[in-house]
Amino acid sequence: MSKESERIFEALGEVSEEKVDEAAPARRERRNGRWLGAVAAVLAVAILGGVFLRPGGGMTAYAIAQAEYPETAQRRELGDTSALEVFFARSARAFLTEAPGENRVYSPLNIYMALSMLAQITDGNSRGQILEALGSGSIEALRQQAGDVWNAAYRDDEAAATILASSVWLSRDVSFNQETMDILARDFYASSYRGEMGSKRFNEALQNWLNEQTGGLLKEQAGNVELNPDTILALAATLYFKAPWYDEFSEERTAPQTFHTPAGDVEADFLHQWGTESCFFGEGFTALGQHFADGAGAMWFLLPDEGVAPEELLAGGEAVEFLFAANKYEWEQQKPFMVNKAIPKFDVASQFELEDGMKLLGITDVFDQKRADFTPMTTGVYGAITLNQANHAARVVIDEEGCTAAAFTVMGPGNAMPPDDEMDFVLDRPFLFCVTGHGGLPLFVGIVNDPTGN
Amino acid sequence: MEDVHIIGLYWARDEGAIPASDEKYGGLCRALSRNILGSPEDAEECVNDTWHRAWNAIPPQRPQSLRAYFAALARNLSLDRWRERRAEKRGGGLEVLLSELEDCVPAADNVERAVETGELARAIDRWLDGLTPADRTAFLRRYWYGQRVDEVARQAGCVPNTMTKRLGRLREGLRRALEQEGISV
Repeated sequence: MSKESERIFEALGEVSEEKVDEAAPARRERRNGRWLGAVAAVLAVAILGGVFLRPGGGMTAYAIAQAEYPETAQRRELGDTSALEVFFARSARAFLTEAPGENRVYSPLNIYMALSMLAQITDGNSRGQILEALGSGSIEALRQQAGDVWNAAYRDDEAAATILASSVWLSRDVSFNQETMDILARDFYASSYRGEMGSKRFNEALQNWLNEQTGGLLKEQAGNVELNPDTILALAATLYFKAPWYDEFSEERTAPQTFHTPAGDVEADFLHQWGTESCFFGEGFTALGQHFADGAGAMWFLLPDEGVAPEELLAGGEAVEFLFAANKYEWEQQKPFMVNKAIPKFDVASQFELEDGMKLLGITDVFDQKRADFTPMTTGVYGAITLNQANHAARVVIDEEGCTAAAFTVMGPGNAMPPDDEMDFVLDRPFLFCVTGHGGLPLFVGIVNDPTGN
Repeated sequence: MEDVHIIGLYWARDEGAIPASDEKYGGLCRALSRNILGSPEDAEECVNDTWHRAWNAIPPQRPQSLRAYFAALARNLSLDRWRERRAEKRGGGLEVLLSELEDCVPAADNVERAVETGELARAIDRWLDGLTPADRTAFLRRYWYGQRVDEVARQAGCVPNTMTKRLGRLREGLRRALEQEGISV
């Protein structure tokens, strides 16, 4: 090799920016990332069960439609997400505010996927109410939107995982519309299994599937899921998320500190970090984001003002708007600070029935014997079919571990013009959090009233 | 995230700028750096250095194209690192590219004057202006981004053999253009 060819290579580096930009290779969707340990592991399960009022009998489980996952999700950008944001905001009020003073967590994305599947197997006003709640004008538009959401969120590589899975559990005594099952397999990647409802083996098969999809982290909750013999169909949707922090928390800096729960003070281990951050402000709250490595999203913490309960913030207003804004960096009220962060380690889990929340969202007919319309699913049942089970479980765990991007952790203070203002961001009283994935999709939202889980 | 928001984070001195940059352009910069260095570990360090440089340069800079800006930083840093490695006789992925670029070096008997790197860059830029968009893209993907020939061919919709021939013709064209301008490197 001559010096001359090296000079040509170097000179090429100075050709006009426009040409370089035009010639840029297409963006890759997947790359081999580095896996440096789990920091945040969250998962959710939603079960929707349809019940036939005249029970039947039967035996084991076998698949009747098998979903084929794409080798890699075709990462799609979401278009207008305003209708989705309305659903997510309403869902937070419907599902998070029922147990004031307790820890509560749910997955907006998971419930969205489960309800989208429910819309496929219903018709008439039953379907219309679901479409309205989800902000879709038609079942075709919903299928398209759900597909876009699935593909925007799905990720499974060495660096991070956001894994959505769905399945349909059918009574062997009922003949189902194969076309509907095929739509669920094709558009929702939902495999269908058939067997004897209420039998130990069928329940175990469902529980095993739930555990498999959620990495065993919701074992206790999955153990509570049982389908009774009256059920003719159950929909199961899961979401599993795991990613390391972009900037890990130093274990040496973790220390016990007082957390003021509504029931009194407790001691919890707090993670500590210091650096420049944009802080976001709104009516009754201060917020900031903690990013995951490798573009896997972020976790947002909303600290209510003194004297304001997290549940009050969910009643409406700017906090809800901020929680579900796809791009939080467009929020007007933000300012960079040198922030001293103190965040309690927590492991919060919830399991609850969705029925009351669904009714608050206007989805009522599927629970009503006289009004429920499940004709796309089956017409081979004598008697009414209603939804008798809608169960949701979610768990979120955070700790210090994560990506050691050491080159970046030292760059903030001292390198260039740190902001003059300093502030403490100490989550030592009940707070809200939101885990967002690609495109700002809200994967998990929760309230931590007691990080020790008592 | 839109580029304008990422640049906004740098200006606000928000460390969220780094993961946001990495999410959008980390893949491009890593691939580019790996093409030059041939080592994922070295490439990772170069990409980290890229964000570090950007952090120190923005503000006051406000890049027009963030993609080209980050790619240029990553390319320069990778070239510097390749030179360090060469001094340590550890080599890297750039050798193949440089051996191909030998074809572009003007013949000595046509030389009238030696030029600075900037002037050489402008001459190459003028030559690129005269190419079809497809040829310009193929040449830059191979010799600016360091992509493998089969990757360049796949994106151009042709077989690698055809692309190899096309790149050879382009290198020869650049050599002739430099000779016509009487440029020595």
